[in-house]
Amino acid sequence: MSMTEPILRVEALRKRYDSAEAVGGISFEVLPGEFFGLLGPNGAGKTTTIGMLTGWIEPSGGQIEIRGMNLASRFREAKKMIGLVPQSFAFYSSLTAWENLSFFGRLYGLRGKALEDRSAFVLEIVSLADRADQAAGTFSNGMKRRLNIAIGLLHEPALLILDEPTVGIDAQSRIAILESLKKLNSEGMTVLYTTHYIEEAQDLCDRVAIMDRGKIIALDTPRALIQAQGKGIIRMEFHGTPDESLLGRIRTYGAVIWVDPPRRRIHLETDRTDLVLRELLDLKESRGALLQNLDVTEPDLETVFIHLTGRDLRD
Amino acid sequence: MENKDLRQILAILAKEIKILTRDRQALALLFAMPAFFILVMSYALEGVFEGGSSSRPVEVAVINLDRGGLSREVISDLKGLEGIVLAEALDGVPMTQERAEELVRQGQYSLALSIPEGFSEKILSLSQDPAGRVAVTFIYDPATNIRLLSGIRGTLQGAILRRTLLATAPARFKKALASEMGPFAAFAGPDSKNMERQIDELLAKANKGGENEPEVKFLSRSPRGHASGRFPSATEQNVPAYTIFGVFFIVLTLASSFIQEKKEGTFQRILSAPLSQATLLIGKLLPYYLVNLIQIVLMFAVGVVFFRLKVGDPAALMIVSLSLVLAANGLGLLVASLARTEAQVNGYSVFLAIILSALGGMLVPAYIMPPFMKTLSLFTPHAWALAGYQDVIVRGLGAGEVLPEAGVLLFFAGIFFTFAWWKFRFR
Repeated sequence: MSMTEPILRVEALRKRYDSAEAVGGISFEVLPGEFFGLLGPNGAGKTTTIGMLTGWIEPSGGQIEIRGMNLASRFREAKKMIGLVPQSFAFYSSLTAWENLSFFGRLYGLRGKALEDRSAFVLEIVSLADRADQAAGTFSNGMKRRLNIAIGLLHEPALLILDEPTVGIDAQSRIAILESLKKLNSEGMTVLYTTHYIEEAQDLCDRVAIMDRGKIIALDTPRALIQAQGKGIIRMEFHGTPDESLLGRIRTYGAVIWVDPPRRRIHLETDRTDLVLRELLDLKESRGALLQNLDVTEPDLETVFIHLTGRDLRD
Repeated sequence: MENKDLRQILAILAKEIKILTRDRQALALLFAMPAFFILVMSYALEGVFEGGSSSRPVEVAVINLDRGGLSREVISDLKGLEGIVLAEALDGVPMTQERAEELVRQGQYSLALSIPEGFSEKILSLSQDPAGRVAVTFIYDPATNIRLLSGIRGTLQGAILRRTLLATAPARFKKALASEMGPFAAFAGPDSKNMERQIDELLAKANKGGENEPEVKFLSRSPRGHASGRFPSATEQNVPAYTIFGVFFIVLTLASSFIQEKKEGTFQRILSAPLSQATLLIGKLLPYYLVNLIQIVLMFAVGVVFFRLKVGDPAALMIVSLSLVLAANGLGLLVASLARTEAQVNGYSVFLAIILSALGGMLVPAYIMPPFMKTLSLFTPHAWALAGYQDVIVRGLGAGEVLPEAGVLLFFAGIFFTFAWWKFRFR
């Protein structure tokens, strides 16, 4: 296998539940050593996709190949390549960290000294070595997240799949987790990472696929996506309702993407944020205190998503 | 099945046992609850079965078809007995044979005494023809404890014999004197002061040697329309019944554990490992199967230690137990596959544990249930398990003879597992 051959290849993957299509025929590849982000708001279909990639959810159609092995027909070999870190704390609260690792390790065929060495190693990676004999249920959320990751790393997977691994934890734990992941990736581990935190995706990912309503609506490096699709967002708030002439003038600056019903708040998408900001400040000078607040978001993945869907990523 | 599968099953089993042993309350519930039931209910029912004391008299229905004076004297004597209350009528309606049989069948009376037509006349005629002896019939409720029944019946028989001997004493003396004293017999009369003492001696002699065959004989049977046979004692009923009752509480523990795994996402993680759903299910179910078997051993041990229960053929008990536990685990998996929340698991499990136990004859013996309920009980695994256990314990049957009950239990298990597999979702 050449190094450029994908470690994960997804082809026309679909999942349909009774009344709705959760994932509607998505295709993408993850290359060895890549940090690949799957970005999308809650309900976009990320977790269902992860479920299908790890054999937990049966796809309604499409193909999944891991290192060229079809997941459906060669699930034992294929699954050995994957390490999963689910969104939930998927371990046993009444067991200690060490006992949890021992159990999950044995499912992957690890035994004896190899299992002990790997358990000690992954606990070290996530800085939980001194908590090995503590019941997992007594851990803080940050520690639980770290144990969740340790279990996913235990059998040295070729592809680590993480589903929102930083949800609900403090900033310090989050930074620690992101640093660990960066280090693992720099050492050659391929990572597929889902999140709805833009900064994380922008900071970590070599490439991102943006998902919305079960479809991939964009896929590229963050830089390329921002360059191609990213526009700044200027959020304005007025004291009173701006008149038609003012609204008309604002429309010349870019695309008005959102107006609240009394027209007191307007969101404007533009690729010329500096210029528009100057215009708006001039306007404030000339039209008095009508303009109350101005907020600017420079082009990023969030604005890419807003541009593509008209919706906020955190909706 | 490959070695790899076996190792994975063992890993899941070991994990499950660790988790189970850490939830001491759930384990205590599983073991202590049926043991507690056995102790409390057996002692409580023992009191009921040991009725017949002055504080807890036994009601005996009396059907007197005789028109003579002797039967009235007998009834009068019986009324004076301690621990027995005679009912010659119910709600003002005199007792007839049919009514008494029905009331015993319904369990309203434990025992009925039927004095036949011509009782007085036949006894006083001193007929020595064994074929012509008068038969007094006891009609008993098969659900009544055998010890209570024998005690009451013995007391009644003694009193009836005493009265019939007293009534026939003058004629007997005359007969005896005639044979001993010949022509002087006409001048000799019975000493009225010592007569009752002499009668009692005569009665004791008759009871011992049987040289003077009494004119009355006693028959016992269950009410007409009721199957006859040996019925279990309180312990023989309660130990297997509450064991089965407890075994089915595994439904709650097992189904809760499945719901917990789904909720916490551990199933997702386990299934992302290289193992099949079948391996996961087998590994997950095995510990509960073992826990149930240990539970059965302990419950029967309680019966043996506290109540001297004779358990019969161990192989036969094993066959019933293995099949029973499979059915209970199947039902647990079915509940796990139907319930979406822990509250639903609790609801289904407790409902099934209580209702199926009551229907299956765990709380009230099925043989005293009305026919409709008795038929309904056959649709529960509980009834078949109890029948299997009682075949071994009460009727002393062996392994080959409990196969039909074991077969039905396996059939239940098959149905439960099939539906569970069809409906089960790991999410």
